[in-house]
Amino acid sequence: MKGMLAVLLALTLVLSAGCGNATEQPADSVGNGAESREADLSDQRYALLMSHMTNAFTMEMSGAVKAKADELGVQLTIFDGEHDVAKQISQAETAITQGYAGIMVEPVSVDGIKPAVTAAKAAGIPIITVNQRITDQELADAYVGANPVEGGELEMRTAAEDMGGKGKVAFLLGPMGSDGQIGRTKGYYNILGQYGDIEVVYEQTANWKTDEALKLVENWLQTGADLSAIVANNDGMAMGALKAVEDARLQDKIKIYGLDATPDALAAVKEGRLAATISQSTTEQGMLGMETIFKIANGEEVPAEIIVHHTLIDKDNVGEYIK
Amino acid sequence: MIEERGGPVSETVLEMKGISKAFSGVGVLEEIHLQVAKGEVHALMGENGAGKSTLMKILLGIHPADRGEILLEGRRIVNRSPREAMDKGIAMIHQELHPVLDMTVWENVFLGREIRTRFGLADKKAMARECGRLFTQLDVPVDPGARMRDLGVAQCQLVEIVKAVSLSAKVVVMDEPTSAITDREVEILFQQIARLKAQGVGVIYISHKMEEIFRIADRITVLRDGRHMGTDSAADLDNDRLIRRMVGREIREVFPKETVVPGEVVLEVRGLCWGRKVRDVDLSLRKGEILGIAGLVGAGRSELAQTLFGIHKPTGGSVHVHGKPVRIQRPGDAIALKMALVTEDRKGSGLNLKGTVQENITLASLDRLFPRGILDGSREGDVVSKSMEKLKVKAASPKAPVDSLSGGNQQKVVLAKWLLAGPEIIVLDEPTRGVDVGAKRDIYLLLGELVKAGKAVIVISSEIPEIMGIADRILVMAAGRVTGEVARKDFNQERILGYAAQFEGGGSSGTG
Amino acid sequence: MRRNSREVGAVEQAKSLQSSRFMREFGILFVFAGVLGALMLLSPGAFARPANLMNIIKQASVNGILAMGMMFVIISGGIDLSVGSIVALTGVVAASFAHPGEYPFLVPVVLALGLGALIGLLNGVGVAYGNIPPFIVTLGMMTIVRGLALIVSKGSPVFGVTAAFENIAGAFVLEVVPLLVVYFLVVTGASAFLLNKTVFGRRVYAVGGNEVSARFSGIDVQRIRLAVYTISGLLAGLAGLVLASRTVSGNPTAGQSYELDAIAAVIIGGVSMSGGSGKWYGTVIGALLIAVIGNGLDILNVSSHYQLVIKGAIIIFAVLLDMKGKRK
Repeated sequence: MKGMLAVLLALTLVLSAGCGNATEQPADSVGNGAESREADLSDQRYALLMSHMTNAFTMEMSGAVKAKADELGVQLTIFDGEHDVAKQISQAETAITQGYAGIMVEPVSVDGIKPAVTAAKAAGIPIITVNQRITDQELADAYVGANPVEGGELEMRTAAEDMGGKGKVAFLLGPMGSDGQIGRTKGYYNILGQYGDIEVVYEQTANWKTDEALKLVENWLQTGADLSAIVANNDGMAMGALKAVEDARLQDKIKIYGLDATPDALAAVKEGRLAATISQSTTEQGMLGMETIFKIANGEEVPAEIIVHHTLIDKDNVGEYIK
Repeated sequence: MIEERGGPVSETVLEMKGISKAFSGVGVLEEIHLQVAKGEVHALMGENGAGKSTLMKILLGIHPADRGEILLEGRRIVNRSPREAMDKGIAMIHQELHPVLDMTVWENVFLGREIRTRFGLADKKAMARECGRLFTQLDVPVDPGARMRDLGVAQCQLVEIVKAVSLSAKVVVMDEPTSAITDREVEILFQQIARLKAQGVGVIYISHKMEEIFRIADRITVLRDGRHMGTDSAADLDNDRLIRRMVGREIREVFPKETVVPGEVVLEVRGLCWGRKVRDVDLSLRKGEILGIAGLVGAGRSELAQTLFGIHKPTGGSVHVHGKPVRIQRPGDAIALKMALVTEDRKGSGLNLKGTVQENITLASLDRLFPRGILDGSREGDVVSKSMEKLKVKAASPKAPVDSLSGGNQQKVVLAKWLLAGPEIIVLDEPTRGVDVGAKRDIYLLLGELVKAGKAVIVISSEIPEIMGIADRILVMAAGRVTGEVARKDFNQERILGYAAQFEGGGSSGTG
Repeated sequence: MRRNSREVGAVEQAKSLQSSRFMREFGILFVFAGVLGALMLLSPGAFARPANLMNIIKQASVNGILAMGMMFVIISGGIDLSVGSIVALTGVVAASFAHPGEYPFLVPVVLALGLGALIGLLNGVGVAYGNIPPFIVTLGMMTIVRGLALIVSKGSPVFGVTAAFENIAGAFVLEVVPLLVVYFLVVTGASAFLLNKTVFGRRVYAVGGNEVSARFSGIDVQRIRLAVYTISGLLAGLAGLVLASRTVSGNPTAGQSYELDAIAAVIIGGVSMSGGSGKWYGTVIGALLIAVIGNGLDILNVSSHYQLVIKGAIIIFAVLLDMKGKRK
C-alpha cells in the first residue's frame, strides 16, 4: 500500500505541475507585507469554516478570504466541512479551543451550526457567517453575504424580459432543500408572479452537476417541448444545458441562464452562447467577510448585516469580469 | 415382487407404507415399503439414483409423497419440514455436512434448540457444559469450545452424530456416515449406534460399504430404479447376492485388477517436507504402476500429494521427474511436467460447480488445446464429447451445469479434466468417496486402462480393502512420515494398520 | 411403461434447467420489454421516436462502458468501487491537457486511459498480491482517487478544451450515431469476445466460480485478478475521457455513485454477485434498462425523488426475478 500511495502522490505532483493554469497561492499564510506590519498582527489567527471545497464557488470564496488575510498580514486556517454539519461543528470547536482571534463560517446547514456559534460566543471569540444566514443569525456577530432570492430574481427577470414576457421555460435546480436552491427558485417565482404568460414546463434537480443537467435536458428536448429558455440555479448546470441544446442545434430558439459567474460561463457569455450569468460577487463577499471579522476582533463596530449585491453579466459587460 | 423374509423383529417404530412419488408425472418411487423396528439397524441400499435419497426426503418432509403414508409408533404423521420431523423424533445425519463454520462446536450442537436462561437469553455456559458432558459420556475426542472451521471432516461428522444422538431421537437416519472418517472413528460411530440400539432407537443406515453393512445391519432393504427389490435379514444375504440385487447384474470382481510389468522410474522423491505436515518423505513411482498410499485421516497423505503438485511450497527435499531435478512451485509447473492431481474434495477443489461439464473438463488443458488463447467451440465440443464418452459421464449435454450431475458423474468429470491434460503421473486422492458401486467399478477399470497405457498412478485411500484391491505396492503414512511399505504379495490388513498406527499419539492429528 | 429413474432424474434436471436458464437469461428481457411498453403507452409521441431511442443508447453509454469493466470484476468474484472516482480523475486530467494550443490531441487520450489502467492495476495488486478484500481496496482507492481529482483540479471544474477534444464523444458517425455510442458498441464487442471466446475469459469465470479449483487446475489466479481490475480501471478511464468530452469540462465531482449504477447494470443483467456466472448481453440490457428508466421518467416529468424510488424498486425486482430463476 505504501508503494501504491507513493506512486499516486508522485503522479499527482506531475499532473498538477502539468496543468499550471491557475494562479499559485502563497505557501505560507503570512504574506509579503508581513514584516512591515506590527508583530502582534501576524500572530492573529483566523479560522474560515467552509461547507466544502469541491466547486468553483467555494474555491473562489476561500481564495478571496485568503487574499484579504494576506493583505491584512494575519494568519488564516481554512477548514473543509465536506458537506457534513457534525464535522463543521467539531472544526468550530477546534478553532475555539485553539484560541483563534475570530471565526468565519460558511455554513453547511442553516440550523445545525448553532451549537458552534453559541460555543464561540461563550468563549468570547467573535464569529460571523458568510454567504448564508443561519436560523439563529442574531447569535452571530455579523452576516456578510448575498441574498439568494435577490440573485434568483435578477436571473429570472433577465430571462423574462428576453422572452418578451411569454413562452415556456424549464428550471434546473440545485440539490433539493439546499439554501441556494430554495432561495434562488423562490426568486424565480417572485418574478413569475408578474409574468402570467410564462409557463414552467419542467422543473427538476440536477444536483449542481453538469453531466446530470446534460442528460436531463437531452431528455426534455426529446419531448419536442417548445422551450424558450432554461434557467439554472448555477452555472455548472447551465453549461450542461448549453451542451444539450447546442447538440440538438436549438441554440437559436432556447436561451440559457446561469448563476455564479464561473470562468467557463463567463467565456460562454462572451461568445454569445450563454445568454447571461449572475455574479454573486463571491470575491467581494470573501474579502468583506475577512475584513469584517478582522474589525470585530480588533474592537471596531460593524453593522449586523453586510449585504453584497448580485450583478447581471451579459454580453455587454462581460469584458469587465473576464480576467 | 416383494420378498419379505425377515419379518418384524420386535415392536415397529417407523413404517412407510406404499410410498409413491413422481416428478413431472414420471415415477421415481413406486409402492415402497419400509418398516423399522425398535432397536434395529435397517440398511437401505441401492445405487445412486435408485430412490434412497428421495425416500428419505419424503420421510424428513422435504418432499411430500404422492401416495402412501408414514406411521411413527403406529400413529400417522405428516412432516412438512426437516424441523418438524426433528421435533417428532426423526433425525438425519447428512452425507454433506453443513456446519456453520464460524460457530463453536457447542453452538452447532445446540443450534436451533438453545438452552435458555430464565431471561430468555442463550445460556452459553450451560450449553458448553452440557456439550462437554455429552462428549465425555460418548467418548468423542473433540473440544466443545473449538470452532467448526478448525475441525477436520471426521471431527465435524462426529459432532453431527453427537448432535443427533443428543436429540433423543426415535429414528435416526444416517446417510453415508463413514464416508469421510477413519476406521478408529468408525469404531466410535458403531459404539454410538450400539448405544442407540440399546435405547430402542431405530436406525436407517445408508452406505455403499458392504463390510460395514454386514457388520451392523439387522435387515437390509434394497431399492433399484425406484422399486422395492426386497427386505431381508442380513444373515440371509451375502456380498454377491446383495450386489446382484442392487445392480441387477453380476459383478464378477469387486476390484478388477490389471497387472502390468512396471517400467522405468518416472517420479523420484527424496526427503520431501512441508512444514510439520509432510516430513522427510521418500518415494519412487514407476511407469505402469499403481502405488497406494494408506494411513489414517490426518496422516499427511493429502498434504503430500498437494506438495508434490505445487499447491504447497515444499520446505525441503528434492523431486526428480524422468530423472531430471524439478522445482514445482505452483500447480501450473506440475501440469507442465504432465502431472495430474484428483483431489479428495470434489466440491471444494475439484470442480467449479457454477460451470458446465465442458468448462470443467477443459479447464486444465486450455493452453494445450488453444495455444493462441482463442477458444474454438467445435474443437472443444469434439474433445469434450470424446472424453465424456470414454469415461461414461452421464449428463444431459456437455453444456449442462456440473452441479446437476450425481456424485459419481461429477467425479468422472474431475477425472476427465485431468485425463484430458494428458498426464504421465496421476495422483488420485480418495477417488471413490461418495461414489456408488457401479461408478466405483468404472473408476477401477479406468485405473487399469491408465497403467496399461504406461501411466504411473498414485492412489490415496482410507478404505484398506479398496487399496489392497487395486494397488501394486502400498506406502503407509502416519504423522507426516512414511512408516512402512508393503509389496502386493505381502498385502495384509493387520500389517497396514500396524504401520498406520505408528507415531500415534505422538504426532499431529489434524485434518487429512 | 415406466422409465428408468436415472433417466427420470435427468429429464427432471433438464427441464428445470431449461426453465431456470430461460428465466435467468431472458427474465430480464421481460422486465425490459415491460418497461419499454409502459413508457411507449404513457408517452407515445416523445419516447418511442427513433431519435429518442438513439438518445437512450447515448445516455446508457458511459454507464455501459463502466458496467462492462465491472462485469469482468464481478464475474471473477470481486467488486470495484473506485470506478466513479476514476471517471472524475481521468476526466479532470484529460481536460487539463486538452486546452487549445498546449498539447497534441492524443496526450489527454493516452493519459486518461493510462491513468485509469494504472489505478486499476493498483487495485489488482492490492487484491491479488496484498490479499486485501476487494471491497476494502477499491473503497480506499475510491476515496484516494476522488481526493486526487480535487487536488489536480484545485476543486473547480477544468474547462476550455479544444474542439477536437469535444468531438471525442460529440462527433457523429454517418450523421446519426454519436461516437459515444460507437465506443460503447466497441467496448461491448471486445468484452463479449474476451469473455466468451478466449482462454482468458474462461479463466475469469473459473476463478469466480471456484478459486481453489481454478488454482488446482493450474490457473494463475493472481494474474487473472490483476487483469480484471486493470480492465475495469482502463474502461473507467475511457468513461472519464468521454464524459469530460461530452460535458466539455473535467469535473472533480463527476462520477459520484457511478460505481453503483455500473454494479446495478451488472446485477440487473443477471451476473451473480458471488462470481462465476453471468452473460455480457445481460449487462448490456441492464445498462439500457437503467437509461430507459431515467429517460422515460424525465420525459414524463417525474420528480427525481420518485425516480430514485422507482429505479431502486426495479433493481430489486429484477434481481428477485433472477433469483427465482436460479432456484428450481
